[in-house]
Amino acid sequence: MKLTARSLIATALAAAIVSTGVAAEDVKVGALMGITGPLANFIPPILNAAKLAEADVNAGGGILGGGKFTLVVSDGQAAAQPSVDAASKLVNLENVAAIMGGLSSGATVAAANAVSIPNKVLQLSPTATTPVMTDMEDDDYVFRIVPSDNYQGRVLAKIVLDEGIKKVAVAYVNNDYGVGIAGTFKAAYESMGGTVAAYEKHEDKKNSYRGELATMAGSGAEALVVIAYAGGSGAKIVKQSLENGFFDRFIGTDGLRDDILIEQVGADALATSFFSAPTSPADNPIAGPFHERFDKAYGEGSDKPFVDQSYDATMLIALAIEKAGSTDRTAIRDALREVSNAPGEIIQPGEWNKAVKLIAAGTDINYEGVSGQHEFDAAGDVSGYIGKFIVKGDTYEQIGIFE
Amino acid sequence: MTADGLFFYFVAFMTMGGIYAILCLALNMQWGFGGLFNAGIAGFYAVGAYTGAILTSARSASHVGGFDLPIVVGLIVAGILSGLVGWAIARICVRLKADYLAMASIGIAEIIRLIVVNEEWLTNGSLGIAGIPRPLEKLFNGREAELVFVVFVWILVAVTYLVAQRLRVSPWGRVMRAIRDNDVAAASIGKDIQRFQTETFIVGAVFMGIAGALSAHYFKFFSPDATEPLLVTFLTWVMLIAGGSGNNRGAIAGALIIWAIWSLTEMLTNQLPTEWATRSAYIRMLLIGLFLQFVLQRFRSGLVPEKPPELRPR
Repeated sequence: MKLTARSLIATALAAAIVSTGVAAEDVKVGALMGITGPLANFIPPILNAAKLAEADVNAGGGILGGGKFTLVVSDGQAAAQPSVDAASKLVNLENVAAIMGGLSSGATVAAANAVSIPNKVLQLSPTATTPVMTDMEDDDYVFRIVPSDNYQGRVLAKIVLDEGIKKVAVAYVNNDYGVGIAGTFKAAYESMGGTVAAYEKHEDKKNSYRGELATMAGSGAEALVVIAYAGGSGAKIVKQSLENGFFDRFIGTDGLRDDILIEQVGADALATSFFSAPTSPADNPIAGPFHERFDKAYGEGSDKPFVDQSYDATMLIALAIEKAGSTDRTAIRDALREVSNAPGEIIQPGEWNKAVKLIAAGTDINYEGVSGQHEFDAAGDVSGYIGKFIVKGDTYEQIGIFE
Repeated sequence: MTADGLFFYFVAFMTMGGIYAILCLALNMQWGFGGLFNAGIAGFYAVGAYTGAILTSARSASHVGGFDLPIVVGLIVAGILSGLVGWAIARICVRLKADYLAMASIGIAEIIRLIVVNEEWLTNGSLGIAGIPRPLEKLFNGREAELVFVVFVWILVAVTYLVAQRLRVSPWGRVMRAIRDNDVAAASIGKDIQRFQTETFIVGAVFMGIAGALSAHYFKFFSPDATEPLLVTFLTWVMLIAGGSGNNRGAIAGALIIWAIWSLTEMLTNQLPTEWATRSAYIRMLLIGLFLQFVLQRFRSGLVPEKPPELRPR
């Protein structure tokens, strides 16, 4: 009896020690960014968004019982060799719990294959759209929160057919963006009964595309699908088509859906044209307040590409770590789907404190971010939303949304 | 920072460093021994990488092949094809004086890059080739696989070094140095300058191709952005010049030292306040430039200068 009492006390003491002894653990997460190199211009707002997520976690009471959540920023120069080196430093020297990043596809895949997968570290890219990542043998350590290029191509094919356009010409830029979307668009469009009358790739940043356009105009297509960046070749192609009377109706992807296009060709000329772009869910009430908060913190930039995704990716990693309850890298991987996928109590940006309490109470949570709901499938991909846009006045208006 | 973290960083460092060491030894054969200014290293690297990738990857609908051949076969064919490209270029360009050869080789590297980006049936264009295997992948996984690969890379560095050393002390190497230092004098004693220069260009190209194939196996994925001239051609030149052109050990030392600076300066700039995150990356580039200035000013002929081999008595 005495013994039992003593052991009871000992157990109680031990429990007390354990419960107070769960010292707050500081957590480091790597941000693999292409700070120098070809994507340099995009980086400041993307990095600010990740920093905002970091600040939200710390302001909301910290991570793993009040620990400090720190982003370790690393420069992968948006190319394979330096990204592998940068990821290796993050994982081995900084001992990060997970990696947010890889921006360009080549850098992301190389860093994942050479570092994240062998070292069993979760890598979540906010921007890499290459179809390669879907089929990668990654032991489930590699995720992304943008739809694969395949996805936008397929949805665009459906949008075009819904408009009653049965015959198109496709002009696409010769890089992974253009080739990826154009290929899946063509396959999906033809399988649904459309005809691709002409299919031409072009190099970015030339002065004249009249030669290619004249060939395509002779094909009898009803409209021209332009898969290119407005600031690169896209706006020039539209302008030269109009000037020479090759085409008067255009269909563009998110690269073309840029204010530069309206500035250069005018809204009237684009009256019958329409565009597709990844978008937030139609009734997403999260985006507005988030963008206001972002602009208040950093002055500007909330409308820049991949700001939403960068915030969401950082937040999802933080939630997965909190859910895992430690910096065990495999546990974090396993927790990611639990915090991001339905079902569960919905958590929105800025609700870190609420999320922590729910996780502590053992409630399942489901993060719904600025850029979408992020339901990861078995390959670590998300489906996301593609919006249909038309030109109205001097800006774009979303008139439809497709899943 | 933990002990095994440090160790596996070292493993990753030596893997990339080893690949650069092979590139650097190969350039040393062309420039250090032969005085041939090859500014198109990225071209040979790409030929090797894509050859290795296409031959060893599993069958794919998006590009020619893959043929699922053993990695050793891939490496050998990568070397041979890169050497053949080297032969073709040497036939056309090797008679040109140094600066013209540099221009011609830049042009050819650019042609190869455009082929790689545009011939989708061959290389899958800008989407790249995925699913490239690594040696003994089935037997090891995770961090063990990293160890296996670094050993594999350094076996090839050793082979490259032995070949380069043997060439250096051979009569052929002496002729090459004579041609480099005074081609008219070498011609006057009956040496066929063009033949020797073609040979040295081919040998260098073979090893550049092998280095390319190794990179493809390391990344298990290869797309055109990994053939960026800044990261391949320029960096290899910097390594050779800083290490000591003409000296094989200097070439390896230069590769490791420059790669260390490239890699480790980030740790310095990471100490800067976080608001500086975007700026620190540029400060790092500045530091690398400053170090190079220092080496080039202080050690004119590189950290490990060339020593002509002693004649061996018969």
